[in-house]
Amino acid sequence: MKPSTRRRLVQGVLYAVFVLALAAVVLLADWEAIGENFFDPEVAREAFPTIITVAVKNTIIYTVIAFAGGLLLGLVLALMKLSPVAPYRWAATVYIELFRGLPALLVIFGFAFAVPIAFDWRPPGGSAGAGLLALIIVSGAYIAETIRAGIQAVPAGQAEAARSLGMSPAWTMVSVTLPQAFRIITPPLTNELVILIKDTSLLFIAGMALQDRELTTFARDSVSQTANATPLVLAALMYLIITLPLTQLVAKLERHNQRGR
Amino acid sequence: MLRNTRTAALAFLAVGALSLTACGGGSNDDAGSSDAGNEFNLVSDGALTVCSDIPYAPFEYEENGEYTGFDMDLIREIATGMGLELEVQDVGFDGLQSGTVLAAGQCDLGASAMTITPEREEKLGFSEPYYDSLQSLLVPADSDTKALEDMSGKKLGVQQGTTGEAYARDNIPDDVEIVSFPSDAELFPALQSGNVDAVLQDLPVNLGHTDDGAFTIAEKFQTDESYGFAMEKENTELISAVNEQLSELRENGKYQEIYDKYFTE
Repeated sequence: MKPSTRRRLVQGVLYAVFVLALAAVVLLADWEAIGENFFDPEVAREAFPTIITVAVKNTIIYTVIAFAGGLLLGLVLALMKLSPVAPYRWAATVYIELFRGLPALLVIFGFAFAVPIAFDWRPPGGSAGAGLLALIIVSGAYIAETIRAGIQAVPAGQAEAARSLGMSPAWTMVSVTLPQAFRIITPPLTNELVILIKDTSLLFIAGMALQDRELTTFARDSVSQTANATPLVLAALMYLIITLPLTQLVAKLERHNQRGR
Repeated sequence: MLRNTRTAALAFLAVGALSLTACGGGSNDDAGSSDAGNEFNLVSDGALTVCSDIPYAPFEYEENGEYTGFDMDLIREIATGMGLELEVQDVGFDGLQSGTVLAAGQCDLGASAMTITPEREEKLGFSEPYYDSLQSLLVPADSDTKALEDMSGKKLGVQQGTTGEAYARDNIPDDVEIVSFPSDAELFPALQSGNVDAVLQDLPVNLGHTDDGAFTIAEKFQTDESYGFAMEKENTELISAVNEQLSELRENGKYQEIYDKYFTE
């Protein structure tokens, strides 16, 4: 047998294995039961249009608020962690280690319930507000590390050159180092954004009013009204509809940045 | 040569293994054996596998490493009466009331303080009612809320997806904000922290929070609701066997004994 024939044969067999595995999955699944439990068109229709006007809308709003707040907080923390003044570095390190180490669900629970009991103070915006504050605090810890890594990845020569032109340290950071750092960390920041979209589903633990519901709470509500799991599948679909174009957009932006270098 | 032959052989082996599993999957269902309880098509032979959303005191909760509570004690007696072991799995209420845990073959029966509703009955087979549930309004002892009508402009906490939530939506003044929580584990902290002004849920659960005098039941509501054990609709043998045990327990006084253990005010 010629080596090329043999190679084709092996490839053919591997291909057959793949097709057979796929066929096995398709044939062995009980599609009728799956359809009845998870893909009931009647139940799916009932979810519209509220799933868009309330659930999707709130999920997006919560994500944008948490990400914007996290970005701002993360930037401050990153600069603190790189500060020449030791106490700032310590404070930032403690903060980051603490909130990166705690599950977001527990932080949300703490801000919604423990903080009001302890201090007789309630975060503005009710339960959703308390949950969002917790999400900002958690995402800030993650984003701080990303930004710090980005700043440190900018070649030192860039800052040195700017300083030798007579720029102040602060202006150097804002106009030379940070823009390049953010270009470098676009992929991990996207990651953080996608994680946040999904983390908004944890807000349910704080308690939700009807008009505050995000996708997961909405879906679970619908499950209880219809006694059918279809709304959960619908919510999953909505998350994909939000995240997939977003990641595509960022990939495009990244390619654009690469060319711009 | 040797390496490539081996790859090909492995590939064929994999295909073979796959087709074997394919055959195996089909012939499992109607295998006839004479194990205890096999006529009920049980998930695991010799045991009644029960799904429940725990904790929900006093109906189901964990004590000394064991699941206990009204539902748990009752279903344990029923299982014993059928000559079966009781196995309990803690699952979310979503999966229970949508029927997915039963359809997925995770358990034989759902025992989770589940109210029998028309929507659920479309999907699930219920036992005879085993408990009549009252709804109630829990408020701080110093609250000026004495009834549901006093809730105007305030926040009311309910459990997501429960009949208590439905009752609240139908019966409160329009300007009450209803806030739903996943379970009593968040509801009560929400009341303690002042995130909500009152909690409307099943009476026995609310009663459990009145022990130290800081909270009190302001009002009780008759909603003509009953709890039932949920099973697969087609599994009529199991449903009638459970019903049989249930009426037996009512007759021999065992039901009353368990009832008194948890619901004596």
